[in-house]
Amino acid sequence: MLVVKNLTKSFNSAGGEVHALKDVNMTINTGEFASIIGKSGSGKSTLLSMLGALDVPTSGSIQVDDIDIAKLSAAKQTAYRAKKIGFVFQHYNLIPNLTALENVMLALEFGGMPASKRKARAQELLTEVGLDEDEQLRKPTRLSGGQQQRVSIARALANKPAIVLADEPTGNLDSETGKKIFDLLHSLTRSENVTIIAVTHDMDIAGKTDRTFRLKDGQIVIEK
Amino acid sequence: MNVVSRGIKNALRSPMRSGAIVLMLAISIGLILSMLVARSSVNAKITEVKSSAGTSVTISPAGVHGFDGGGDPLTAAQITTIKDTAHVSSIVATLSDQLTTSDTSLTPSLELGLFGARQQRSSTDSTSSTDSNAAAPADSSSTETTTTRQAPTPKTTVTGTTDQNSVSTDGSDLVLSSGSSIDGSSSDLVALVGTSLATKNSLKVGSTFTAYDKTITVKGIFKTGNTFADSGLIMPLATVQTLTDQSGAVNSVIAKVDSSDNVSSTVTTLKSSLGDKADITSQVEQAAASVSSLESISSLALAGVVGATIAGSVIVLLAMVMIVRERRREIGVIKAIGGSNVKVIGQFVSEALTLTIIGAIVGLSLGIVVSGPMTSSLVSNQSSTATTQAGPGAGGPGRMFKGGMSQLSSNITQVTGSLTPQVFAAAVGITLIISIIGSAVPAWFIARIRPGEVLRTE
Ligand SMILES: Nc1ncnc2c1ncn2[C@@H]1O[C@H](COP(=O)(O)OP(=O)(O)OP(=O)(O)O)[C@@H](O)[C@H]1O
Ligand SMILES: [Mg+2]
Repeated sequence: MLVVKNLTKSFNSAGGEVHALKDVNMTINTGEFASIIGKSGSGKSTLLSMLGALDVPTSGSIQVDDIDIAKLSAAKQTAYRAKKIGFVFQHYNLIPNLTALENVMLALEFGGMPASKRKARAQELLTEVGLDEDEQLRKPTRLSGGQQQRVSIARALANKPAIVLADEPTGNLDSETGKKIFDLLHSLTRSENVTIIAVTHDMDIAGKTDRTFRLKDGQIVIEK
Repeated sequence: MNVVSRGIKNALRSPMRSGAIVLMLAISIGLILSMLVARSSVNAKITEVKSSAGTSVTISPAGVHGFDGGGDPLTAAQITTIKDTAHVSSIVATLSDQLTTSDTSLTPSLELGLFGARQQRSSTDSTSSTDSNAAAPADSSSTETTTTRQAPTPKTTVTGTTDQNSVSTDGSDLVLSSGSSIDGSSSDLVALVGTSLATKNSLKVGSTFTAYDKTITVKGIFKTGNTFADSGLIMPLATVQTLTDQSGAVNSVIAKVDSSDNVSSTVTTLKSSLGDKADITSQVEQAAASVSSLESISSLALAGVVGATIAGSVIVLLAMVMIVRERRREIGVIKAIGGSNVKVIGQFVSEALTLTIIGAIVGLSLGIVVSGPMTSSLVSNQSSTATTQAGPGAGGPGRMFKGGMSQLSSNITQVTGSLTPQVFAAAVGITLIISIIGSAVPAWFIARIRPGEVLRTE
């Protein structure tokens, strides 16, 4: 279970203090698929980075299975990201110098899997997301956007995370491919009982999730 | 795939750029190695020259150079002063004289070549004129009138010394091929005869010859390997002083200083106590003067090492800073998916190390090839300076010593750049320093990249 209480985040920028998140409260149950919608600049990515321990909140708490991740040391936060969180980004963010297989193996390395087991596990994951053997050995530049996003989903799921955080995972894909990727995420997480929190602009997609949060100026205005 | 292999893989990611970095680095490292080789070879030479210079200080009467020049012999009082100077551990006093065929029954064994003949003639002329000015005995002036252009005759050098070993040309003890040593402090009518002179006059241990109208007994035959020395005689100092009527006088004192560190201070003390009555030279000072050009090469090489090290570090540093900036996002991603700072920095350090190692292999091979010629050319460019800076030889028996010194200074230009394992290790060590410096700053940049940045759209 994920419980967010009184979460605020402010940035000091040249034009003064920016309140990206203001007193956000939310609860998401384990295995739920939640979507976050809202206009550009409403604080969606900021919220996701707090949940993923990529940044620390200004105040408030984020309880993941009774551990407040906002209060963890930097080293513990890194370990939390490696083991408990899977990220899927709008721009895929695969390591360009590594093949699809090596990208997944990299996440497995950070997750602490012994080197001897990584390759088989990575192949299994990539096959699951629909990449054939030849594609698995290609570097990201030689894969389509949809294929790259599949690799990044395989990478996100590599260490059997508790939560998958996706920031506009279909934002760079055409609607048909986007739908396929969404369905893939949906089915994979259903079978593994993973909590998914996805930021999206696509109202079709948002409509199919278990929960939807709408952010406006750093505050949750509608919760479905 | 681990941190190290990812770093290696990344180093080869863009071959053109890596090639350029490696090339620049190779040049710096090659330069570092050659400069280190030059420096260590030159330093080795400097130590060799300095250590071959003994701790002796030569004091001769002012203006006297061997048998040439003027000046009064050193007096007994001056010798006592020298002996009592701090740090002087022992002294050897010598008084040399030259015997013409009228002074001795011995036939000189030195053949006068063209050069010798010319020297001898001028010295005979000057002796004659001095004699006539000083109201010389009648027979001497009559000689002069009868033979205005007397055929030059070789002379036999007699060295009166308190220590026979001072005649040895190589600094070690005098080698006697037969007979026994003489007591330098006695005033006995005994002599050691040089091997050439002995052969010429069929002298053996126990033979006698006449000199200064006295019968002298041969105690031993010595051999130095130096033709001039082997054609001479060695007698106790007091004997020569008595025979030549110069009681207490000496024309050269060699003072041994207790340690080479004290030589220059002792020279200063002696100069002030003896004033302008004596010329004082020390081997240490001469060695120092003759190696000064080598010392400047050595410091030049050191500057080269430092410069090339800085250049190499800056190359790696700039390259790595550039690479880190370029891969900001990638670093953010690695951190976001759970890569620790240590792992990311490790990966970049291994990348920097890979570039440095390739650069080092190329550079060190380059250095091995060019260090020899580079050392020779550095040294030979300074060779003219080296020879002119070789100090003047000392007087008296120092004639031989002077020969030794000029031999030493000609050796100075013969520095061969030799690559020792220590120098090679030093170059490798410096290369390591380069990659550490070159990685430290990028590592700091890496640690500051926040993983949250990956969510920012570019
Ligand atoms: N590092 C930062 N420094 C300063 N201001 C920031 C920083 N990150 C976010 N902000 C500000 O916080 C607010 C929320 O930004 P955020 O990226 O969360 O919006 P978003 O909802 O993800 O928008 P989009 O849909 O365009 O991605 C914005 O006003 C943004 O300018
Ligand atoms: Mg965003």
